[in-house]
Amino acid sequence: MNPSEIKKMLISSMNADADPIEVFRRLKDEGISYDFSKSFGDKVLDKLFSAGLTINSEMEFVKSMNFAFYRIALTGAAAILVLLISIFLMEGSLSFNSFLGLSDSYNESIVCLLTGN
Amino acid sequence: MIKESYNVTEENELVKASLDGDNKAFGEIITRYRKMVARTVRGMLGDSVFAEDIGQEVFIKLYYSLSEFRGEAKLSTYIQKIAVNLTLNEIKRRKRFFSMFSQKGNNEMHEFEVADHDTEERNEASEIVNKALTAMDPKFRVIVTMRMLQGYSTKETAEILGLPLGTVLSRLSRAQEQLRNILEKL
Repeated sequence: MNPSEIKKMLISSMNADADPIEVFRRLKDEGISYDFSKSFGDKVLDKLFSAGLTINSEMEFVKSMNFAFYRIALTGAAAILVLLISIFLMEGSLSFNSFLGLSDSYNESIVCLLTGN
Repeated sequence: MIKESYNVTEENELVKASLDGDNKAFGEIITRYRKMVARTVRGMLGDSVFAEDIGQEVFIKLYYSLSEFRGEAKLSTYIQKIAVNLTLNEIKRRKRFFSMFSQKGNNEMHEFEVADHDTEERNEASEIVNKALTAMDPKFRVIVTMRMLQGYSTKETAEILGLPLGTVLSRLSRAQEQLRNILEKL
């Protein structure tokens, strides 16, 4: 097909009653074809995979952080429990003064210290 | 319509396998539809260096939106919609970019698009089609691409573009007029 015939065909292909399949076939016969590079599919899969690996490594980090948090929280809870037991054994109660290390007998001494009498 | 048409059940299985993490299944989807996407993207963008990037973006977007694909429409139609939307976005983005630097943005864009040819040899017919397409208004270019390069009927084009049939027919007529003017100058 010479250029003027190609141009005529292209213009007539836009008629509403023209068969688009026939137009497509004729253009294909004229050597009009489109494709991407040979490595196109691999590039897409690489991009998807590498993105997946990044997400996976991020997920692993979050999981390890969660694990570390639970271990720290459990250790902390155990330490608080030991502290409460030791306070109870030493002071005989778990009152506010016991937590501050003050027993009732100290009240008078404190008043003496504060007033000087 | 001339398109890669496959067994719907088989396609749905490929989609399901891809969703289950089977990358070979998704690779098969790429192999089946890469030429169809290339026709749309290269047809609308020309042989731009960005055409392949947009093509890759189409399949990446498809991968992440596969869970939304219900299998009611054909997979080819679903992919085609993504390809058209991403390509039109790229055209708009480039138009904005070039208009920032020059009032003759469109002309420069066309020069830019046709400047980069890949290694495959282009015959005369390809040159005429590519030059005509890149010189067209994007809203007509998409209609011409769907019709000439994909073989879609006006009804199918309307479905893919999400436009009323009347609008597609009207644009088809105006596209023909514009194509005639462009081809006369080539």
